[in-house]
Amino acid sequence: MLGFLKSSILSKFVVAITGLIMVGFIIGHTLGNLLIYAGPEAINAYAVGLKDIGGVVWAMRIVLIISLILHVIATINLVRHNKAVAGKYKVNNYKASTFSGRFMAYAGLTILFFVLYHLAHFTFGVVDANAYGMEATLENGRQVHDVYSMVVLGFRNVLVSLFYIVAVVFLGFHLKHGVHSMFQSLGIHGKKFTPMIQKVAAVFAVVIVISLISIPISIMLGIVGGQV
Amino acid sequence: MKLDARIPEGPIQDKWTKHKFDINLINPANKRKYKIIVVGTGLAGASASATLSELGYQVETITFHDSSRRAHSIAAQGGINSAKNYPNDGDSVWRLFYDTVKGGDFRSREANVYRLAQVSVNIIDQATAQGVPFAREYGGNLANRSFGGAQVSRTFYARGQTGQQLLLGAYQALAKEVESGGVKLRTRKEMMDIIVVDGKARGVVTRDLVTGELETHLADSVVLATGGYGNVFYLSTNAQACNVTATYRAYKKGAFFANPCYTQIHPTCIPVSGEYQSKLTLMSESLRNDGRIWVPKAKGDKRKPSEIPENERDYYLERKYPSFGNLSPRDISSRSAKEACDDGRGVGATGYGVYLDFKDAIARLGKDTIAERYGNLFEMYERITGDNPYETPMMIYPASHYTMGGLWVDYNLMSTLEGLHVIGEANFSDHGANRLGASALMQGLADGYFVLPYTIGNYLAKAELKKIDADTPECKATVKEVEDKINKLINVNGTKTPSYFHRKLGKLMWDKVGMARNEAGLKYALEEIPKIREEFWKDVKIVGTGAEYNISLEKASRVADFLEFAEIMAYDALDRDESAGAHFREEHQTPDGEAKRNDDDYRYVAAWEYKGVGQRPELHKEQLEFENVKLAVRSYK
Amino acid sequence: MNLKLHIWRQKNNKTNGAFEQYAVSDISEDMSFLEMLDVLNEDLIVEGKDPVAFDHDCREGICGSCSMTINGNPHGPEKATTACQLHMRKFKDGQEIYIEPFRNNSFPVIRDLVVDRSALDRIIQSGGYISIKTGSAPDANDIPVPKSKADVAMDAAACIGCGACVAACPNGAAMLFTSAKLKHLNVLPQGQAEKKKRTIAMVEQMDKEGFGSCTNHYECEAACPKSISVEFISEMNFEYAKARATAYRD
Repeated sequence: MLGFLKSSILSKFVVAITGLIMVGFIIGHTLGNLLIYAGPEAINAYAVGLKDIGGVVWAMRIVLIISLILHVIATINLVRHNKAVAGKYKVNNYKASTFSGRFMAYAGLTILFFVLYHLAHFTFGVVDANAYGMEATLENGRQVHDVYSMVVLGFRNVLVSLFYIVAVVFLGFHLKHGVHSMFQSLGIHGKKFTPMIQKVAAVFAVVIVISLISIPISIMLGIVGGQV
Repeated sequence: MKLDARIPEGPIQDKWTKHKFDINLINPANKRKYKIIVVGTGLAGASASATLSELGYQVETITFHDSSRRAHSIAAQGGINSAKNYPNDGDSVWRLFYDTVKGGDFRSREANVYRLAQVSVNIIDQATAQGVPFAREYGGNLANRSFGGAQVSRTFYARGQTGQQLLLGAYQALAKEVESGGVKLRTRKEMMDIIVVDGKARGVVTRDLVTGELETHLADSVVLATGGYGNVFYLSTNAQACNVTATYRAYKKGAFFANPCYTQIHPTCIPVSGEYQSKLTLMSESLRNDGRIWVPKAKGDKRKPSEIPENERDYYLERKYPSFGNLSPRDISSRSAKEACDDGRGVGATGYGVYLDFKDAIARLGKDTIAERYGNLFEMYERITGDNPYETPMMIYPASHYTMGGLWVDYNLMSTLEGLHVIGEANFSDHGANRLGASALMQGLADGYFVLPYTIGNYLAKAELKKIDADTPECKATVKEVEDKINKLINVNGTKTPSYFHRKLGKLMWDKVGMARNEAGLKYALEEIPKIREEFWKDVKIVGTGAEYNISLEKASRVADFLEFAEIMAYDALDRDESAGAHFREEHQTPDGEAKRNDDDYRYVAAWEYKGVGQRPELHKEQLEFENVKLAVRSYK
Repeated sequence: MNLKLHIWRQKNNKTNGAFEQYAVSDISEDMSFLEMLDVLNEDLIVEGKDPVAFDHDCREGICGSCSMTINGNPHGPEKATTACQLHMRKFKDGQEIYIEPFRNNSFPVIRDLVVDRSALDRIIQSGGYISIKTGSAPDANDIPVPKSKADVAMDAAACIGCGACVAACPNGAAMLFTSAKLKHLNVLPQGQAEKKKRTIAMVEQMDKEGFGSCTNHYECEAACPKSISVEFISEMNFEYAKARATAYRD
């Protein structure tokens, strides 16, 4: 199954396709997270709604987990090889590459650790079991997991928020290069298309970063979750 | 020894076909028993190696470059001639033949030239099938343009990189044969000498340029495709590594050197800017299709070109040669430029330059069309000089470019040293006293793809070759000779660099054996060359040993051969007491300064036989018969 | 002008190299970079020191021999310019210049600035050609080629095989080189018969030579003296995946 690792181009394909899947997840996840601005009812109902269609969610989770693992294995393999063979110069002088492009591996690793922490925090409740155990009542009277309070309490911790913000900023760099890069890797390019997709990728990265970091910032400033 | 060109009998248009039928063939299964060494991987060497391997021979191909894609054929810009007559403007094999013989000022061998014109057609087919991206019309067919010395459009081109694309075609064909195992490719090995056993060329001694090791390579026949000797002038349009060593060492081993005085000066090069100059950059002659050449009418006119009004400009080529104008042959264009500069009307910092102006062409065709035709040449010019040719005229001056002379070969491309075949610029055969533009690529590929691969079989089928190995006394002796020479060079341990001597020789040759020659100057050169040579052997400095990558040794070894070779060039130029094509003897010119031939006394190929260093070589003559093209005064008026 | 040069000196591939410092003076602005090195070498020879070895030949930007990295840029700072066509007017008086070989794991140093780039030749040998034997070609106009395709083929074929793309790549990839040859041959009607085989063979040889892989930094295109487009890499990716996916049909 990991035969693609022997081929530079097939590895790139795997990185691009798994990247694309995860970009899809990020869009959905960000939209979901933004429901926090709509108040506890909205986000808690959304969370329980996802649980209610558990089969579908689990299928998506499996795809995501496989994507993440392949993405990580393929890139580690590529990066290790590339670092070993690339010329090392006394003086480095770049003409075309960008910071985000050269920062891909570092950003990626940071994001990987963050994702593990993030899952432990909000999905498995390992970090703060009390906050994870809270419950809320929906308008229809249903008792559900209180995602809203869990998030608010979580982000009131400055260190947690800071790690989150740093990771999201790194994700932004990763997306800026990655989103345009996946098209190039998959063979989708063009004299107009390529510069366009580079701009789209940059705008997309900024939108995602602002959307996501606005949440801990709003919480720390007390704009969101003051009542918890 | 009487020179026998082995020209087949019969009418000229049937000679090649008949010859191919008459010559001995080797049956396909036996071809793999024969081994052939090819030295050089330019157009001729690469195409010959690939084709010989396709035929089934074992081929060992040797180049001193790091890759077989670097040879200087790659720098040819303008195009390749072929008698395809796609534009339907009246071209034919016969016309290409006629133009080439006439362009060569009736000093080439008719039969060879006719064959060249015949196979020119196949070259375009072959190259196109290989994927050479020739320029195309919108309909998808091949495009043509016109070139100097012809009144039809028969030049095929790939932007300004025709030589590169044709060489890459041949390089790829060679790569295919390397992959198939038919060709053993040896890179970074310089041929130092020919191994001759029983009077036949049986191999070469090479020096590995990385380790310095001397190696013996043996075969049943040796093919030299080692290019020309234009760097005898130090400054030329040739690449830095181009040298005479391979052909000169073959000459010392018994191959006659023919017409060494026929050296072509290219009219459109970027002028010299200083002492340090290492080479002259050629701007494709195709520029003359749309550029107009002029100098100010007044001597010493230092105004900017834009400030010189139309009526104070002398478009001297258009004035002197109204029908060919700016497309006059190379020798005529070059000499006219020299005349204008010698007359004090040259332009640029040194006064050795003339304008090549695109203002009218841009006005007529638009900047875009000009950019499409010459864009990369304009860029290159601007990179080197800092001037933008779209806005200000280019400055050009003639420079040594191509050498028509080379080792004498018969119709089968074999030299007077049995078993030694010589192809491409390294031989003398097709261009006479002057080569027409876009004909070098044609000849290199004709020899390599279509001529040598057939004719070499004729030699191999008949040759009686005894078994030899590296321990055969002749092989060991040749290695020893090379070793001694290298040690001798290293042991001089003088004070001056090899380039110092090269520059000194080059200047002498350019001044006295260059674009225009006279008896006194040639005699002076013959006195001076031995002096420089003597000084070289007393005072040259080489750093390091023979057993390592040693650039000063490489250079010195090549310069040492130029220092001997230069003498035969001067002897030949002195012997040829006439003007013909690129060989211009000031004593022999028409009242308006044209070359004046002497067909009665000099209608021959001068083939020189080595008689020892510093000794006058012995002249052998191959009389030239013109049965198909009537001898006439070459006129481009 | 006067310059301070730091040049990589290495006797052979068995010894380690190091930078050495040289001062050159009275350099003319009209000199090419290599002519500046010639001047240095002339002085070194006279002093009995080893001259700096560097590959060079045509000195007009087409043979692809020259291969030095100047202040971190293969062929130097100018766009679309080989080292031999780089002129000293692009430098400032008193400038310090670091000159290193084209570096890559697959380009072992032979001496000083000279490296072994035969890996690139082996990529071509693996399939970078159209198999046509001499003499068997049809008439050149039998196969019309749309001008647009001929032009693209020429754009790709302009590669001079210098290896600057490899030397510039932060990943040590040879994908611009490989993809340019693939594009040249794959876009032409003459190249169709072997397209799939060629694509697979050349990419696999490229991997076998140990080159890195593209992560789309585009340093290659910026370093390329012929400005070959990274579009070709993108296409190679697709064509290779397609060829592998459909290989079972052949």
